[in-house]
Amino acid sequence: MDYLAKKYTRPRKIPSTACSGCGLGINHKAVLQAIYELGLEVEDIVWGTSIGCAGRQTFGTWKGDGFAGTHGRVYAIARGLRLALPSEKKIILTVGDGDAFGIGLLHLIHAARSNADLTVIVNDNLGYMSTGGQYGWTTPLGSKTDSSPYGMYEQNLMSDDIDVLSMLKHAGATFIARHVSMDGQRAVESIKKGIRNRGFSLIHMVYPCPTNFGSRELGTRNTIKLYEWIESRAAPLGEEDENTVWATGVYHDASNSRPEFSENIHKNVERIRRGAAL
Amino acid sequence: MKRYLETGNFAITEGAILAGCRFFAGYPITPATELAESMSYRLPQVDGIYIQGEDECAALHLCIGAALGGYKAMTATSGPGYILYADPYGWAIGCEIPLVILNSGRVGPVSGITGAPGQGEFYLTRYPTQGGNFETIVLAPNSAQEAMAITVEAFYLAERFRTPVTILADQLITDGFEDISVPENEEEMKEMGFRTWPRKINKGPEFYPPTDEIDIPPVVLGHNTGALCSDWTPTEEGYDIEEVAAHHKHAYRLIYKIRNNRNLFSNLYEKTFLDDDPDLIVVSYGTPSRVVNTAVKKARERGLKVGALRLINLWPFPDEHFQKSTRYLSVELNWDGQLVREVQRAVPKDAEVHFLGSCGDLPTVQDLIETFEKLLKGQSLSRRGWELEGW
Ligand code: SF4
Repeated sequence: MDYLAKKYTRPRKIPSTACSGCGLGINHKAVLQAIYELGLEVEDIVWGTSIGCAGRQTFGTWKGDGFAGTHGRVYAIARGLRLALPSEKKIILTVGDGDAFGIGLLHLIHAARSNADLTVIVNDNLGYMSTGGQYGWTTPLGSKTDSSPYGMYEQNLMSDDIDVLSMLKHAGATFIARHVSMDGQRAVESIKKGIRNRGFSLIHMVYPCPTNFGSRELGTRNTIKLYEWIESRAAPLGEEDENTVWATGVYHDASNSRPEFSENIHKNVERIRRGAAL
Repeated sequence: MKRYLETGNFAITEGAILAGCRFFAGYPITPATELAESMSYRLPQVDGIYIQGEDECAALHLCIGAALGGYKAMTATSGPGYILYADPYGWAIGCEIPLVILNSGRVGPVSGITGAPGQGEFYLTRYPTQGGNFETIVLAPNSAQEAMAITVEAFYLAERFRTPVTILADQLITDGFEDISVPENEEEMKEMGFRTWPRKINKGPEFYPPTDEIDIPPVVLGHNTGALCSDWTPTEEGYDIEEVAAHHKHAYRLIYKIRNNRNLFSNLYEKTFLDDDPDLIVVSYGTPSRVVNTAVKKARERGLKVGALRLINLWPFPDEHFQKSTRYLSVELNWDGQLVREVQRAVPKDAEVHFLGSCGDLPTVQDLIETFEKLLKGQSLSRRGWELEGW
C-alpha cells in the first residue's frame, strides 16, 4: 500500500490482521486510491465501518476520525452524523454483505430513500465469513458453505430476476456500481464517482475469501484458484455470458439529481425558523 | 415564567429545549407519540432537527450519530419500543455517548394495553442491553412539571457522566394535562434549580482513560482529533482490542464513574413523614406515588404511623434509604412485583417487605389506607382478587 498507506492509514492497523490471501485489502486500496485521485485529505473524511471481516479489518485504519457501528445499523448512525457534520465532510462506510444486505437492509434502504450523502462500499465475501463461513444474501446458487452443505439453494438477493442493486435503485440511491476486486482502475473510477455524488452512493465489490469461502466451495485455500473462480464469473456490463454472476460497472448514475438528505432538512429547518421568527 | 395548562409531553419538550437539545429522533408509539409531535413542531423553531426513524432501533442510532457529530440528542418511546433500543443503548453505553431517552410506561407485556399506565420496565431500564459490565442512570418524575425538571437534569447528567440517561415515566405523566411553569431565561432556570452542561469535545488521544472520573468530554467526530469509537472493547485511544486487562479497565470506568459519583443525583427523592420512625414506610415512584402521598397524609390524620418514600433516582438503586428495620410496602403498577425485589435486597435482614400491585389503573386512597391498616395490625396481604395483588 506504500504511499497510500503512509498518507491515509495508521501504522497500528495497517497491515491488518486479515488472513493471508484475503482480497479485502485490494478493495480497501481501491477506496484509498479513489480518495487520493480526488485530492482528498485525512480531515475531509469520517470513516465508518460495520462488524464482520470487512468492518473489523478496516476499523481504525483511517488516520482521521472513525467509528464502527452495531451490526447493520451503521447506516442509521451515519445518517444522524450526516445531519451534524458540515456538508463538505465526506462519510465513507466500508461494510460487509451480511451487514448491508442482511441485518442492515432496512436501514440501508432508508439511507437510499433519503439520499443521504454517504459512500457505502459493500465488501462482499459471499457470505458470513468471519463466523467461519455461512451462506449470506449474495452467496451464488449452488455454493457450499458451512450452513449450505448441500449447496446454496435458497433464493437470495442475486438470483434470477432479483438484484439487491435494482432494489436500491428503486429505493432512491443516486449512484450504484458493482465490481470484483480484480477490476483495478475500473473500480477506482466507480468509487470516485460515488464519492463525488452528493447523495447516497453504493459500490458493491465482491472479494475473495480463501480461508472460509474458498476452502468450502473450492475445497482449497489456494488463492490463485479462488481469484480465477471469481474472475471467470465476472464480466463488464454488456459483455456478460452464461457464466457471468457479477456484471461489473456502473449500474445507475443519477448523481446530484435529487435533494440530498441533510441539505433538505437543514433548508427546511431554516425556512421554518425564519417563519417562526416573523 | 410562563404558565400553561398542558401535557407532560409539552413540559418534556420545553425542558429538553432549555437543556440545549436540538435533535430528536422519534418513532410513533402510544403514549410517547405526542412528545415526537411536539418536538417536530418546536425543534425547527429553535434551529433543531426532528426526524423519524424507520423503527425505534434506527431512531436511537440516529440520535447516536447526531450526538457523535456534536448534538445533544433525545428519543422517546414506550415499552415495546424500549426493547428495540437494546442494540444502540449498549453501543451508547460502551462508547460513552451522552443521550436522553424517555420511556413512558404502558401495560405489557408486548403491546398490551396502549392507553393505560404501567411500570413493567423497572429492571429493563437497569439492564437495557446485554453484556453487563455497566451502570445506568434512571430517573422517574411523578408530574408534568417535575418531568420538565428531570429532563433538564437528565441532559446535565448525560453530559457529565457521558452516558445515556433514561427518564422512566408513565402514560399519566406524559399524557395528563397539568399546570406547568416554563422559565423564560437563565435566571428563572436557576431559580427553579435547573442546571445545564455544555457539550465539550474530547481532543484525545486518550478517549477512554482508565478512571472513575466524570467530566471527561465525549468523543465527537468531524474535528479531526483522530477519535475512534466502536462496538468492541476499546483501548484508551479507542482501538478495538481482545484483551481481558483492557476490558477490565473499560468495565471499571463504565461502572464506577457512575457508582462513585452518585452524589450528583442521589438527592433526587422525596420523603414524607419519615422523621419519627414510622411503623410502615410506603415505597413508590412515578404516578402511584401521588396516590400514596395522599393516602399517607390521610392515614396520619387517622393516627396511623405511616411514612412515604418516593424514589426519583431509581438506578443505581439508592440503598441508603432502606437502613431502618421496619415494615416496607412497595406500591407498583405491575402485578409481578419489581421494585419490591430491590427493596427486599436493600433492607436489613429483620425488616418486613410487602407488595401491593395493580396495572393499567391506580390503586385508590381507600385501597391503600386499608392495606396500611392491615399491615400495621400484623395481618398479611394475601392475594386480594384480580383487582389488586398483595403479599
Ligand atoms: S475469513 Fe475470509 S474474508 Fe475474513 S479475513 Fe479471512 S480471508 Fe478475509
